[in-house]
Amino acid sequence: MSLKKFSELFGDLDSINSTNNKIAVLKNYFLSNDPIDNAWAIYLLTGKSNKRFISGRYLKNLFSQIYEYPQWLIDICYLKVGDSAEVITLLLKNKTNSRKKKLSNISLNELLSETIPALSKLNEEEKNLEIKNLWERLPEENHLTFNKILTGTFRVGVSIGLITKSISKLINIEEEIISHRLMGDFKPSTDSYEFLINKNINIQELNSKPFPFLLANTIEDKIFKNSINDFQFEWKYDGIRMQLIKRSGNISLWTRGQELVNESFPELVEKMSHIKDDFVLDGELLVWNFKEQIAFDFSLLQKRINRKSPTKSIQIKYPIIFIAYDLLEINGRDIREIKLENRRIELEKYFSKWQIKTENNISDIFKICDLIFPKDWPDALTYKEKSRENNTEGLIIKKKNSTYSSGRKKGIWWKYKVDPMQLDAVLIYAKGGSGRRAGLYTDYSFALWKDKELIKFASAYSGLTNIEIKELDKWIRKNTIEKFGPVRSLKPEMVFEISFEKIQISKRHKSGIAVRFPRITKWRKDKKINDADSLENAYELMKKIS
Amino acid sequence: MRTKQEYLIRYKDGNLYCELADIWIDPSKPVKKALITHAHFDHFTFGCEEYISTKETAILLKERVGDNIKIKTFEYGEEFKINGINISFHPSGHILGSSQIRFIFAEEKWLISGDFKLQKDQTCKQYEIVKTDYLISECTFGLPIFKWDESNKIANDISKWIANAPEKTSLLFCYSLGKAQRLLNEISQTNFKGKIYSHGSIHKMNKSYRELGIDIKDTIKIEDKKKIDELKGSLILLPPSLSKDSYLKNFKNIQTAFASGWMSIRALRKRSGYDKGFAISDHADWDGILEVVKKSEAKNVFFHHGDSEALSKYLVEKESINVLLFGK
Repeated sequence: MSLKKFSELFGDLDSINSTNNKIAVLKNYFLSNDPIDNAWAIYLLTGKSNKRFISGRYLKNLFSQIYEYPQWLIDICYLKVGDSAEVITLLLKNKTNSRKKKLSNISLNELLSETIPALSKLNEEEKNLEIKNLWERLPEENHLTFNKILTGTFRVGVSIGLITKSISKLINIEEEIISHRLMGDFKPSTDSYEFLINKNINIQELNSKPFPFLLANTIEDKIFKNSINDFQFEWKYDGIRMQLIKRSGNISLWTRGQELVNESFPELVEKMSHIKDDFVLDGELLVWNFKEQIAFDFSLLQKRINRKSPTKSIQIKYPIIFIAYDLLEINGRDIREIKLENRRIELEKYFSKWQIKTENNISDIFKICDLIFPKDWPDALTYKEKSRENNTEGLIIKKKNSTYSSGRKKGIWWKYKVDPMQLDAVLIYAKGGSGRRAGLYTDYSFALWKDKELIKFASAYSGLTNIEIKELDKWIRKNTIEKFGPVRSLKPEMVFEISFEKIQISKRHKSGIAVRFPRITKWRKDKKINDADSLENAYELMKKIS
Repeated sequence: MRTKQEYLIRYKDGNLYCELADIWIDPSKPVKKALITHAHFDHFTFGCEEYISTKETAILLKERVGDNIKIKTFEYGEEFKINGINISFHPSGHILGSSQIRFIFAEEKWLISGDFKLQKDQTCKQYEIVKTDYLISECTFGLPIFKWDESNKIANDISKWIANAPEKTSLLFCYSLGKAQRLLNEISQTNFKGKIYSHGSIHKMNKSYRELGIDIKDTIKIEDKKKIDELKGSLILLPPSLSKDSYLKNFKNIQTAFASGWMSIRALRKRSGYDKGFAISDHADWDGILEVVKKSEAKNVFFHHGDSEALSKYLVEKESINVLLFGK
């Protein structure tokens, strides 16, 4: 019922590795605390709140100011710790012994609905004083939680799935229902928690919320043993996965990240609201090249995602389309338990009805995905290989007789991605990582040859094993040429195979090219730097594709 | 200002060396004459013609590496002369027998801190403040994010950690010399009254400590334990080298923890692979290092064993203390 209890929960979760034990700890916590604090705990742990009351930088400056601490010293500490809230917590230790009355039992609710929101009403000077005051009054064990709430960085390895499982265990109701209840906006209140643990299931109350998304798994070899006729084939678009919902006349657009994005795409909301039926569609939002009938690059979509209430000219410049690939609910009837092939028939039926009946022309913003019909598996492979031509990432393969369940369920949907493009490049810079990777050099920059010079072409930080990271970190420390803040320039010696999804011309980069999703796929210890690829190789790769 | 070669003690081939006495301090390769600050293996190498240390360090070293080494011993505070240089050992509070080494030559004092801590530790002599002109200090934990809790608080945390998992066997990893004995001593003063086992390497050191008059709780050697099922609810002390070993398969239903100063940082705790971390160290924390620098009244300070960038800059800017570089 208090910040203290929540801090203990945080500490426990942080030091438990087993999922079952985490669930047990969470279940216990929910049983022994007020509904309102439980609601806040869920809100914080699942990252539903990313609200940042102050930035990490601000927190560091404030500490530096109050305790007359050199900024550079805090920065060096940060490199080791990798988290502003934690650095300040560690530095605050033994500094806040004051005679002020301690806030030992402040509830999460009071802290989050009164104390912290009140900060934003103060001017800067008052705000700083109040934070100092809170540091002095809150017990030291609660500083980390408090600082993390302030800076909106509450990620502790508790997934929504884990919360779902614990609530499901708590009230003995299937995970799907809980997961549905937890979708989308979650307002931390007694009501929302009581709703979550309500043993009576009511479809109406779940109204605007999306269904849990069904996700595709990476292709497995065993699939090729099956008859090709058992599967439905679609292009794998590189857009925003979304459920488009119309219930009781209201449209909601939900991303897979559980964000309601109606405001970013008003033209879609407007047009779809003219359809008479109610429905839930699963599909992809893209910026669409209407002339060639293919998707534009994801980078154009990015220009729309973060922009609320886009102007008409933006809407024209980056025209969007919603491509539906599944129908999950129609006029209040949940049809997820119907086989995919039959859902597809329904989808096609309703789509043609809407196209004819709807006064407004919806086809300039909404369509259903085209299916592909490969003759056999080698033919499917040929389609996959061609996917770059229409700006897709490969194929999605779905079992025709499957129902729509939730999560990354095995053996239903697969993604068959086009092989990544690869170049061998030389490691030239390294930068310290943050979070779990703090204190290690984990962010790398790679270069390709241009005549006798190495030109940076990509940065990557994923793909190495922990053991390789440690080994490389050691090497980096020994082979540093120069340090610039957190970045080190390195002796060119190490060659890595870099894989990426897309390659295109870019004026912003010195290399003249930009790649998408670069990642390390192999540490080429067998190669010398002269064996690395040149920029010319990269240009050729680009030509081959377009 | 003098050049590096003119300092009484300087860095040579990565080790501290006093040319005037032709003597090395904790050398990492065989030499003629070596002063040994304490009995940890990263401060000792085989093959030196002669070692000089405190009596306790000599006994612990012989227990670890055998009698086949020539060691001359001196009491804390007892001065001895080599080539006209007065040398003496002083308690450094790191582990049993650990010492700082002071050199006096032509009225100039040099102090090598050795590994040290200021915190109370009932298993060894408390750190002694020694005044000096030149201080060569370790700085393993030379950042202000390191601030140790009292060791009895950590011991209570450990005791709670075991009590909260009565169905499990609790494996606590710690260095077998020093840390293990300090933990044993502290844990036996908490509410934990269950059985404690220790690995052979630790067991051996416990015995030596007891023989040197240190009060260490008697533990059962884990190698002597045949029935693994009876370990439920008990504590086992193991050296960190066994943590990722198939050795762990010897146990059922375990929880693991590591006792080390590095465990105060969450990222390191997570990366370490242990379930839990207890931040307890036999090295000085930031405040400890600063206190020693100030109280030693040294005008010139050198740092080694650690990243001294922050510490040096801080001392120069905030305390106007001259921090020098050896140039390795």
